[in-house]
Amino acid sequence: MSTMVVSHLRPGEGGALRLFASQEALLAFAIIGIAILVGLYNPRFLATRNLADIVLGNAYIAVAAIGMSMVIVSGNIDISVGSLIGVLATISGTLAVAGVPIILVWLTPLVVGILVMMLQGAVIAYLRIPAIVVTLGMLSILKGGLISVTGGRWITDLPQSFHLADIELFGILPMPVLIMVAATILAALWMRYSASGRAIYATGGNAEAARLCGVSPRRTVVMVFALHGLFAGIAALLFATQLKVIQSTVPPNLELTVITAAVVGGVSILGGVGTVVGSTLAAVLIAEIASALVFINVSPYWIHAVQGALILVTVVADILRRRRRQVGG
Amino acid sequence: MAVLAPEVRSAAPRWLIRHETLLAAILVVALAILGLLNERFLTIDNLLNQGRLMTEVGLLALPMTFIIITGGIDLSVGSIVGLCAIMLGYSWKNLGFPLPLAIAFAIGVGGVAGFVNGLLITRVRVPPLIMTIATLALYRGLAEGISQARSVRNYPEWFFFTGQGEWLGVPVQLWILLVGIIMAGIALDRTTFGRTLYAIGNNETAARFSGLPVDRVKLVVYTLSGLAAGLSAWVLVSRVTTTRSDMGSGYELDVIAAVVLGGTSIFGGVGTIWGTVVGLVMIQLLKNGLALTGVKGDATIIVIGAVLIASTLIASSLHGRREVAG
Amino acid sequence: MSDARNAPVREGGPAAPLLAVAGIEKSFPGVRALSGVSFEVAPGEVHALLGENGAGKSTLIKIISGVYQPDAGTIHVDGRPLRLDSPDDARRAGIATIYQELLLFRDLTVAENVFMGHAPRSRGGRLDWKAMAAKTEALLAALEIVDLAPSRIVGSLSVGNRQRVEILRALSQDARLLIMDEPTAALTEYDVTRLFDIVRRLKSRGVGIIYISHRMDEIFQLADRVTVLRDGAQVGTRRVVETSSAELVQMMVGRQIESLFPKVAVAVGAPVLEVRDLVRRPMTKSISLTVRAGEILGLAGLVGSGRSELAQTIFGVTPAESGRILVFGEPVQIRSPGRARALGIAYVPEDRATQGLVRPMNVRENFSLASLAKVARFGFIDAAAETRLAETGVTRFRVRAGSLDQVVGRLSGGNQQKIVLGKWLANQPKLLILDEPTRGIDVGAKAEIHRLMCELAAQGLAILMISSELPEVLGMSDRVLVMREGRLVAEFSRAEATPEAVGAAMMGSQGADAGRAA
Repeated sequence: MSTMVVSHLRPGEGGALRLFASQEALLAFAIIGIAILVGLYNPRFLATRNLADIVLGNAYIAVAAIGMSMVIVSGNIDISVGSLIGVLATISGTLAVAGVPIILVWLTPLVVGILVMMLQGAVIAYLRIPAIVVTLGMLSILKGGLISVTGGRWITDLPQSFHLADIELFGILPMPVLIMVAATILAALWMRYSASGRAIYATGGNAEAARLCGVSPRRTVVMVFALHGLFAGIAALLFATQLKVIQSTVPPNLELTVITAAVVGGVSILGGVGTVVGSTLAAVLIAEIASALVFINVSPYWIHAVQGALILVTVVADILRRRRRQVGG
Repeated sequence: MAVLAPEVRSAAPRWLIRHETLLAAILVVALAILGLLNERFLTIDNLLNQGRLMTEVGLLALPMTFIIITGGIDLSVGSIVGLCAIMLGYSWKNLGFPLPLAIAFAIGVGGVAGFVNGLLITRVRVPPLIMTIATLALYRGLAEGISQARSVRNYPEWFFFTGQGEWLGVPVQLWILLVGIIMAGIALDRTTFGRTLYAIGNNETAARFSGLPVDRVKLVVYTLSGLAAGLSAWVLVSRVTTTRSDMGSGYELDVIAAVVLGGTSIFGGVGTIWGTVVGLVMIQLLKNGLALTGVKGDATIIVIGAVLIASTLIASSLHGRREVAG
Repeated sequence: MSDARNAPVREGGPAAPLLAVAGIEKSFPGVRALSGVSFEVAPGEVHALLGENGAGKSTLIKIISGVYQPDAGTIHVDGRPLRLDSPDDARRAGIATIYQELLLFRDLTVAENVFMGHAPRSRGGRLDWKAMAAKTEALLAALEIVDLAPSRIVGSLSVGNRQRVEILRALSQDARLLIMDEPTAALTEYDVTRLFDIVRRLKSRGVGIIYISHRMDEIFQLADRVTVLRDGAQVGTRRVVETSSAELVQMMVGRQIESLFPKVAVAVGAPVLEVRDLVRRPMTKSISLTVRAGEILGLAGLVGSGRSELAQTIFGVTPAESGRILVFGEPVQIRSPGRARALGIAYVPEDRATQGLVRPMNVRENFSLASLAKVARFGFIDAAAETRLAETGVTRFRVRAGSLDQVVGRLSGGNQQKIVLGKWLANQPKLLILDEPTRGIDVGAKAEIHRLMCELAAQGLAILMISSELPEVLGMSDRVLVMREGRLVAEFSRAEATPEAVGAAMMGSQGADAGRAA
């Protein structure tokens, strides 16, 4: 009955500094390091246009990863987000072409996203079906639904006002970056400082203890999925409004990239640990690697292998680290 | 559903027997309805053809049943199929292996892929869910990278026998599947290996404390899953006469749906091969039925997804979570 | 049982005791946990609770903290009668418990942990972080803890500090009665001293403390009164200044050792198992012992002394890091239970529900679980052989079950234990390690198991019996070893083993009552 000494990997002390811990620093170094190395090999990598493309084009993944991080911290997983984003993008495009006021075009995907995810969250929390089963099933329902409803048609003739992503605030700040950074900071602060945010960590870390302290793990899970749906909606908007044409298909393997970003960003798959700042940095890193592959003449077909290897290495390292810190059995 | 001398049936609470018979009854009814709706449905030709199409997923569903019974899962099976298909083409065309060797090589690659899954799951104790999500990406990535999205074609005639030929009027791959079913079913029901699987799924700690080789058995089932994927890849390539890097994509949904529908609990400890077979057949017939009534292929996955969630829900409410009485 | 001799230590008139329980009775299916226990705690008093495992201490404190409800008896807090139907009721009444397994959130700060679930809020319902930090600071100051900041992450703290966070949490809910269950079990010397300081400070604030510990020296240093429980009944309450550790031990264990089954003298043969300097961190710190054929070696000790860990190291569940194991004189490496089994070692674990049986499986399947190879040919299970094995076992061990197909999860504790035993005996082992073989089992089944053990010893089996029940240890063993904190501290022959001697060795209490701190 002796208590195990499980000390945490984060040295974290002090308030605000808690937002930044070793994993995030590691990612920041990696991003800079790769930029330097690849830039030396092929200076065109560092061209403003390219760097801007990397960040702008993939900001939506970072946003989606925020929600995914929360889901994983709470001790669950979701593999339906890719399909959901595809569906939401198509919805917004369709509404735009149909002449619906632009504010509704932007709001509807958010609402639909929240509802769909909340439904999954409720099934997981209250009907106690494992998250993998629910989200695997939902992935197929969404994917198949999208194809059968749209017949794979492309949406063209999008009105100019649709392109939210092209807006630059004050003429210099591109919307995607603005939204990505703002969402990350807000989410990070919320998770860190609000009671509900704390509840997510408590639920994922030790659901029993959480319940004994008055936190409701079930309500927390539904809330987490609702937020995840919100971020998926925002991500869908960023994704869709960059395109001239919306292909009514699901961007392939999007959920994998999002999960990779969350896991590599430091969210532990065992639940209860991780920050959204990490996942945003990781999303940027992954996008950077994908671009770097092109510039060092490696075929871009290797990107998924790289992603898989990244998840694997991160997870194995995380588990080994935890085990080494436990004294005895 | 023949079978099981009750004394050897493992961990089978009464509800399971009910579940399978219930399923079989639904199957018969579904067959009848679909047959009435479309006269092409109940022809021998069509049924045998469905059997042919069912094999690739069927081969995967057998070890998946084992894995889910132990309380694990393998989401990478579809990617391993893709990887093996690519390796088959690549080793033949680019490395110059004689085709039979290429086939064996491809299956071997599958075994290695499964072995890696099992190794990290047992040694490092990576949870199977995240492990196989990672390898789902990694193996698919390797397939894409190695093939550079180029497909391999122009296989010799004899190669197509496995996927398109017949023996005694039944498609060849269906024979392979039948052999697999019988072997897997007997192993699960009547061998110490099968008993160990149920023990692990119901109480891994007690199984370990009883001296059962828990880690070794887990390693075996994940490796078997990889090997089955290799076999499935061979059948697939032989049937569609080409290799592409996106092969097997999405198979994990069909496989897991078939297994869960067939009565294997996603929480582990309960399940049979016979149930999986019924689940498999039902899903294939569902797809066929939908296709014959004009629903396009892509849309059928909606139904499969719904079936997966619904059958888990029903199983879960029939016997609650795998909490033990007493 | 209150008379003037046992009145609370404080002066100042007959203040109502903080907590007074009287006539508490509690039974669970098959076992009477508490029979007529009465007990009082005054404000500012440290009242120690002493007793062997199974004496009823944990049941009593669970009743006081609202987890269980008594079958009979009353509870008064501050002189008012109360019903404590849930942990929340107890919390509202000002009763808090510090458990051994701490319920903390590793990733959150000290302040967040202290106030989890009852954080101060500002207008609008948002969390008032400033107030939380300030209140935490105040609590820290009250207990004069200077090296802990409210913003530190709990996961990075030492065990001693985490315990302090738990104490802070209790105080933050205005606890007036604190229950501490073996608080020093996992602490270093330094932390123990600091804990004592905190306890003294709490005393001066008028907080009452129920202190459960096996460590005599602590009881004599900290407590004002001590109550001894034995077999669910209260043996007595003493003021600490008026008693001695010898008297307390006598109260704890002194009883007639009814022979549960007369032990037959058996000729002891060659060593079956020899262990030399076996080490496995953190609980097994260089153990050497020998078990011979026909011998029953009793291993006594308090819970947490490392006996089960030792057994599991010998059995290969947590393989040894260094040291030697010899079976029949041959050095062996045991790195897995399968290997141990192959060498003829069997282990009946402490927790039969999670470690010994697969509860959803039936009697037949559980019986063959450790000897599948015996009932199988070329890997195929022979249904008839398996049935025969189970039938033999059921008859031999008198397992009462509806049929061989009965799911074992529904059987009684005694029958379940017999199945676990039978499962291993089917293998014909040479060494049987029994970990708490009769825990939670009714008297009749206990006797059967004891008789079985004697039979097996007579047949030449070597038996290593781990038990926390002194009568069992003393009644059944040819030799008794005592473990404490991972080491072997004493060995007694059957003649030398008296309850007092063994009890004292278990608690390491020789001379503890001398030199009580002021």
